Amino acid sequence: MIASPEASSPALLPMGFVDLLPQEAEAEARGIAEVMAVFGRYGYERVRPPLLEFESSLLSGAGEALAEQSFRMLDPSSHRMMALRPDMTTQIARIAEVRLQDMPRPLRLSYAGDCVVIGTPGREGERQIPQAGIELIGPDRAEADAEVVVLGAEALNALGIEQVSFDLSMPALVWNLVDSAFEGAKRDTLLHALDRRDAAAVAELGGEWSPLLLGMMDAVGSAQRALSCLSRLTFPEHLKVHVDRLKASVDAIQARAPEIRLTVDPVDFRGWRYHTGVCVTVFAMHCREELGRGGRYLAGQEPACGLTLHPQALLRVASALPRRKRCMVPLGVAKKDLSSLHEAGYATVAALGDETDLKATARRLRCSHIWQDGAIVAL
Amino acid sequence: MTNPESPPLILALPKGRILKALRPVLERTGLEPAPDCLDESSRRLRFPTSDPSLDVVRVRSFDVATFAAYGGADIGVCGADVLMEFDYSDLYAPLDLGIGACRIAVARPKNAGDVLPEGRSRLRVATKYPAIARRHFASRAVNAEIVHLHGAMELAPALDMADVIVDLVDTGSTLRANGLEEVETIAHVTSRLIVNRVALKTRPEEIGSLIERFRAALAVAA
Repeated sequence: MIASPEASSPALLPMGFVDLLPQEAEAEARGIAEVMAVFGRYGYERVRPPLLEFESSLLSGAGEALAEQSFRMLDPSSHRMMALRPDMTTQIARIAEVRLQDMPRPLRLSYAGDCVVIGTPGREGERQIPQAGIELIGPDRAEADAEVVVLGAEALNALGIEQVSFDLSMPALVWNLVDSAFEGAKRDTLLHALDRRDAAAVAELGGEWSPLLLGMMDAVGSAQRALSCLSRLTFPEHLKVHVDRLKASVDAIQARAPEIRLTVDPVDFRGWRYHTGVCVTVFAMHCREELGRGGRYLAGQEPACGLTLHPQALLRVASALPRRKRCMVPLGVAKKDLSSLHEAGYATVAALGDETDLKATARRLRCSHIWQDGAIVAL
Repeated sequence: MTNPESPPLILALPKGRILKALRPVLERTGLEPAPDCLDESSRRLRFPTSDPSLDVVRVRSFDVATFAAYGGADIGVCGADVLMEFDYSDLYAPLDLGIGACRIAVARPKNAGDVLPEGRSRLRVATKYPAIARRHFASRAVNAEIVHLHGAMELAPALDMADVIVDLVDTGSTLRANGLEEVETIAHVTSRLIVNRVALKTRPEEIGSLIERFRAALAVAA
């Protein structure tokens, strides 16, 4: 076969992977540092799991849900299959369970790092996804859910992100209901219809459960409206505990931080399937992607609740960082002068030889100032 | 509840067959898009409505789902066939409008003999629904070799481009006129009100009240 004459450039990156250039990479690093500083202030200690783990550890237990999003490679030395992490929560759970099992609970951990997902065929998106998050391991209480949400809100606030909303859901409600009443292909079709809020298909497939399922689909929107809709629905006895917990978590968040905009969607069960309790998805007005996601799961046998923010999405809506001013300095400037420039917030760009026209060189190297005769001169 | 700073919500409407059927529903919602919106000869693509917080865009019916999935439109009207084809995870379909009823069907030449499509391990399929056709035949252990066309698929079997076609069928008269017979219905199709997932999460009051207006308009018709 003859290749098309327009062959792709050897510099083409795989779909979903990007180079971050000077301003962008710095913004990402500073954004992550800002978020991690907020987490640290509230006693969340940072841990750093590895990029790669054996498939058997990364994808076992709660990690099973990650299997279809994991790139894998063979370890040439052990001949065992390794997986590149698509998410860090289950790694933190492993650390809590195995390495920090003797540390007193509640255990508060934070983390930041890159993850790699395979992505969705047909929808090209980023595949290398930085994450920054927290996990609160130990107590299974609405107050713990509230702490995680409120701290997430504070981190977003630190980045100057406005009109944020937290969407709460209870995936266990849908999973339990559907798993107890449906099986096989019908169950899968119904789950797909529920995920897409396809009212017509849910009405057709839901049988005796369709009034309840459609009622749940209708109970969306502001937390107040959604909870009052939910309270009018009749749930089977074994599911009432989930509805009550959802309400308790909403109450706990509102008691702590009444200014947070809360919405509820009792049918939302999207995301990693390791979640067992209240889940949360973070949105901001006029932003078309999720800013973060989290919820309650089991770290081994222990209850835990976490929130993962997506720094790349956050930075697309955060107020832009002020650019660092660049000051051109001639060869051989004294160290104390450089220090005073650094303290004043300038990045110094040093000439490497005797520049005849320092100003021209400064402009060429995108400097806004030069250091001349012991003083800063604006260009 | 409308925030004065919010840009207007965008409603995407499909050109053609569905737009005609939608006209009475739209009238009953009281949304009143600019008069040339429903006039297909107008060159404009974006129209104001009587509600300053809602604009209408008019796009190809296959593109309504894409506009809404990528957030270009917050809400839209499109056929269930298009939703099935693209299967966008960012679209919700909260309301069946019940208009534009038809079906997605498999058809083949009348003289094709006794061999059912399922009898083979691969089949050439002419269609504008490659994903639906692939999924349908894969579930019957048949690999569909897709011949992707945008119209006139009915010609493909006679011109030896395909064994069968998968297409939208209304009355079936086009099939009959081209010597084809329907052998299987893949799905029944009606038009749906669709909503962008993030728009519903971030502007629940506004989107919710739009959905209610369409629901009420259907109730009046019933």
